[in-house]
Amino acid sequence: MGPDTAVRKPSIWEILTSEKYFKWTLLIPLFALLLVFMLYPLFYCLYYSFCQWGMQGKAIFVGLHNYRELLNDTAFMEALARTFEVLAICIVAELLIGLGLALLWNREFRGQNVVRGLALLPLLVAPLVLSLLWNFMLEYDFGAVNQILTAIGLGKVYWWSPNLALYTICFITIWQWFPFSVFVLIAGLRSLPRDVFEAARVDGASNWYTFRRLTLPMLSPLIMIIVVLRAMWLIRLFDPLYGTTRGGVRTELLDWRVYRTAFVYFDIGYGSSMAIFSLFLTIAVCAVMYRELMKALGVIR
Amino acid sequence: MKRMIALLSCTLFILCLAAVGTKAQEARFGLQDIPKIKNKRTLNTVVETGKVWDKIMPYIAEFTKKTGVKVNVERVASPVVYSKENVELMAGTGYYDVVYVETSWTTEWSPYLYKLYDLASKWDPAGIEGFRKDAENHSPSILICGQAYGDQMVLPFYTYHMGMFIRQDVFDDPTERANFKAKYGYDLKPATTDKELYDQGEFFTRKKGEPLKGKPLDHDLYGLAMMAGAYQINDEISCRIWGKGSDYVTVVRDSTGKLKEFVITKANKQALKETLREYKNELKWASPGCLTANFDFVVAQQGEGRAIIQPHQFSNCFAWTADILSKHVADGRLGIYPTVGSQPYTGAWSVGVAKASKNPEAAYWLVRYLASFECQKAVMKEGGQLSTRMDVLRDPMWHTSENRYPFGILCDYLLDIWPKQAKYVPNYWYFNTKAGGKVYEMQMHVFHTPMSGEATIDQAVAEAEARTLELTSKFDTIPIREEK
Repeated sequence: MGPDTAVRKPSIWEILTSEKYFKWTLLIPLFALLLVFMLYPLFYCLYYSFCQWGMQGKAIFVGLHNYRELLNDTAFMEALARTFEVLAICIVAELLIGLGLALLWNREFRGQNVVRGLALLPLLVAPLVLSLLWNFMLEYDFGAVNQILTAIGLGKVYWWSPNLALYTICFITIWQWFPFSVFVLIAGLRSLPRDVFEAARVDGASNWYTFRRLTLPMLSPLIMIIVVLRAMWLIRLFDPLYGTTRGGVRTELLDWRVYRTAFVYFDIGYGSSMAIFSLFLTIAVCAVMYRELMKALGVIR
Repeated sequence: MKRMIALLSCTLFILCLAAVGTKAQEARFGLQDIPKIKNKRTLNTVVETGKVWDKIMPYIAEFTKKTGVKVNVERVASPVVYSKENVELMAGTGYYDVVYVETSWTTEWSPYLYKLYDLASKWDPAGIEGFRKDAENHSPSILICGQAYGDQMVLPFYTYHMGMFIRQDVFDDPTERANFKAKYGYDLKPATTDKELYDQGEFFTRKKGEPLKGKPLDHDLYGLAMMAGAYQINDEISCRIWGKGSDYVTVVRDSTGKLKEFVITKANKQALKETLREYKNELKWASPGCLTANFDFVVAQQGEGRAIIQPHQFSNCFAWTADILSKHVADGRLGIYPTVGSQPYTGAWSVGVAKASKNPEAAYWLVRYLASFECQKAVMKEGGQLSTRMDVLRDPMWHTSENRYPFGILCDYLLDIWPKQAKYVPNYWYFNTKAGGKVYEMQMHVFHTPMSGEATIDQAVAEAEARTLELTSKFDTIPIREEK
């Protein structure tokens, strides 16, 4: 065969733009971003979690020392327990409020757009700004809430007392995030098939029976989505602490502990081990919930 | 003839005074003294948000106009300054040319900062002597805070040197004075001991309806207002522990004055325990809200007429408190005095030059300019913060009948306390260790825990010691040990 008839090797550009590979080519920027901004920092963090390093000199490899220390760190374990307490309180409250309001607002009523629009407001405010506002409003002596309570003859409440502060943090979080549940559930309610409910009504089913046997099961996939997403976000709860107690009065949560260790003490090694622990915890919690979600959707049994 | 001689003498005297004045004016460093800067590379700096920097921006524009060097100013909330700069300095990126430094970080960052004398000898036509002369206009104690191992690393920008704010009108009230004396057996005056502060806290804590200055109160009143939240409590504890003649850690020097070691002595531990105990004891005369309070809430408590004494408050909050008070209590007036033990928490937000800077020449001149009379006057007059320059504080404008209250008495307080405290500052541990920034942040949380009931005082002291030993061993080259 002469040289002019030889099979030419395709260039990289030709490969990338070929019909076979073009779908993968489109993903390259995304993979590049993931690599730079997610995978690289993640592996870097994982590496440092096995080291002792305070940002000076070289990192010293210490194996599992940080993780062993973590398991014996009572303050860390307390922060973990508090995080789960906040998680349970917030998810239950947000779901109950969300479901209640979704059922209420699913009906046609005058001013429905205004009400729904206003309900969105807490979600639109930056979490840190919202927590700073609540911090001022709940202040013992001159906070608006206590002023109102005093004006109507009730006594002042010390919202940031060591016994109440954690629940006040929960309240701020619920206040900000309940609209999320409301709107997801309203969307769910709107998409439910009407004929099933009409059939139930014809059969004489009560409202409560219909809600329990029809509405709730059909909404369960959405409820699970809310639970999974909120669990992920709540394990990383940080802003309300920054704007209010700064981890004081018994409100230190998991992410605040990680922040303090890594970026206040600059104990990067130990802080990384906390962050990795927190990551795996989130994955574990969400994996269990995701499985339940899939079951609810009937994808798996 | 005699009259003529007298007239001539007077004229001569006035001319001499004017000449001296002009000379003094000339001696002050200003924009006009900055020589031509060869390196025109843009400077980067990170500073706080807030009014004072709003007002300084036009002066930075003037600097650019004069030197041809552009300055990028990144502005972030104060608690973020440390972490942002720390990463850049440690990594040696040279991203920030002019570094904004809380003075307790000076020693920690000294390996990454230029010694200002070195820069003066290299770039300043007036040399080290010219620099030294101008720097001497600053508070002697604040200048020391900006030194590392005796070298001036940063120049102050504004100070928060603490003081004790009292309701002067209440302290001066004859009925209150008489009642106090009858109850405690000694005169009512700004507290100089913990016992007096406790007594005053108790005396002034009153319920709604009880009288103050002969009139019934329409709200509860607290004797004290304190910052016991997990953010600024350690500054208050520093006032107390220094006031006892102690510290968190004792600085040990060799015969030449060189740092030898740090020791957490038994006396240090005892003083910390006592301090925390006294502080917790006095909290009962403060609003429950103090457990989460920072400076703003404490200012509001006194400003709204709900607290009589801020035992340790940043002096740059004095005019602010006075302003709020004037709106809420018609005849309310404040006084400022040294904290118990007369060694208030001290320091300043300051500026220095990063070693990794690509334009140290211009950075040096910007630092000099920000600390100059012109900028410092703007810091105080326009920005509402407190200059550390004594020539600014001595300016007659603060002592006119219009400004005497609150600025004049505030200036007098600082001019009085600075030289007195200067002899102690070189041995404060914060300003001698490279772990100061880290330990400071740790203390915020740990000292708060016994106040909120999360830990006992003994547990908190043990935790503080353990963490201090750990952080100092990790971040400092000077050895630290605990006296058993």
